[in-house]
Amino acid sequence: MTTTAVTVGMAEIHVTKGVGIFTCPGLGSCIGVCAIDPITNVAGCAKIMLPESFPDKQVDKPAKFANTGIPELIGMMERLGAERTRIAIAIAGGAQVFRFGSDCATSKHDIGSRNVKAVTDALNRYGLEPMANDVGGSNGRTITFTVETGIVTVRTAISTEKALANLRDLTGNEDV
Amino acid sequence: MSGTLTLDDIVAKTTDLPAIPAAAIAVMRETDLSTSTARSVAEHLSCDQALSSRVLRLANSAYYGMSRQVTDLQESVVLLGMRSVRNLAVIAATYTWMQRPMNGYALEPSSMWKHSFGVSIAAQLIAKKSKSCDPDLAFTAGLLHNLGKVAMNIWLDRKLAAVISLAQRDQLAFDEVERKILGYDHAEVGAHLAEIWNLPESLVVAIRYHHRPNDADPTSPVTDCVHLGDFLTMSMGYGLGGDGLYYNFCPEVFTRLGIESSAIDEITDQFMDAYSKYDSLIEEMTAA
Repeated sequence: MTTTAVTVGMAEIHVTKGVGIFTCPGLGSCIGVCAIDPITNVAGCAKIMLPESFPDKQVDKPAKFANTGIPELIGMMERLGAERTRIAIAIAGGAQVFRFGSDCATSKHDIGSRNVKAVTDALNRYGLEPMANDVGGSNGRTITFTVETGIVTVRTAISTEKALANLRDLTGNEDV
Repeated sequence: MSGTLTLDDIVAKTTDLPAIPAAAIAVMRETDLSTSTARSVAEHLSCDQALSSRVLRLANSAYYGMSRQVTDLQESVVLLGMRSVRNLAVIAATYTWMQRPMNGYALEPSSMWKHSFGVSIAAQLIAKKSKSCDPDLAFTAGLLHNLGKVAMNIWLDRKLAAVISLAQRDQLAFDEVERKILGYDHAEVGAHLAEIWNLPESLVVAIRYHHRPNDADPTSPVTDCVHLGDFLTMSMGYGLGGDGLYYNFCPEVFTRLGIESSAIDEITDQFMDAYSKYDSLIEEMTAA
């Protein structure tokens, strides 16, 4: 079986059944979401850009926003045979600038923190919670998700690749 | 690490400094004149054959959707408009050296270019929305804002990890650490280069104060547009290096630009839409 390598671009969702390697580069305040149902081998990866869609504007790409991207990711995986309750998730990204002037860090300007909360909230609405996360701080990140092994790794421009989670290990063991 | 290198040393010791062709600067100046014509702009451009051919190649990229190949400079100015050709001239003048990897900032090939181009698109969009300054000036300022990194890159090589550690230990932004160690930062070096190139004062100011727009005296709308554009581009992860998002954001720019800060998500969305429209142009350049 050939393993397909897919780069997940801004506001994109990719799903697969079987094998595949998803790479989500250039995560600043955006969130990379990796998901798998280890029983049916259905997996997906999304790059979420902003927390909420705009009420007065049609959504052209659901993965732009957490409130539309997470339902779309789950829906696409379910259509390939995934069982919602079995889906294991890891998220990374949500960085923010170092300091917000005189403003507080929880302000509207902090896209990264708001993205983390919005993605987590959207997952919770499906009864899901990230098994592992690497969020916040001021580093850009790249995540790689190997479907066959379930391993999610994270690297920054100044750090080597480190393991974040094994999404096939339902005990939650992150030793990969 | 000790601050033994002066700003002049950094510039003098960097043998691989970027250069902006005189023809590109002449085009920028010409298009600012009310008397400029397609012919006069084309004449300035034609003084530099390499630059002219790059501009024509970009003008013929899928982005502009020309129905036929355009080979004449004056015709390209007529068809695309003076402002577009001006922007293409600045792009063509800078992208060859902006594509290089920069180990000092842990920037992969094309990362500097992607980030700079992102800031130029965002700054142009913000200038249009705020009606605070000439959008094309904001575009150029965005493209050039980080040019000082090219010189600082040589000095930072193999010191990046130590600078990041210092930033984390002392809770300083990356440019603050540069200033603490050397007495100046990449923005100051960039402004110094811009002065050597004899660029307009508004661009020099925007380059110098893009990380601390509140310190510009008087404050400048172009600088504010670049600061906000830089923030959006960093947030969207374009061309991030080892310095990542280790910079301060000054929310005062919203007030000065007359933009509601609550509109930040909508502006980000519009920025991403604008950026994605340039995909074919970006491909054309990064493939060069």
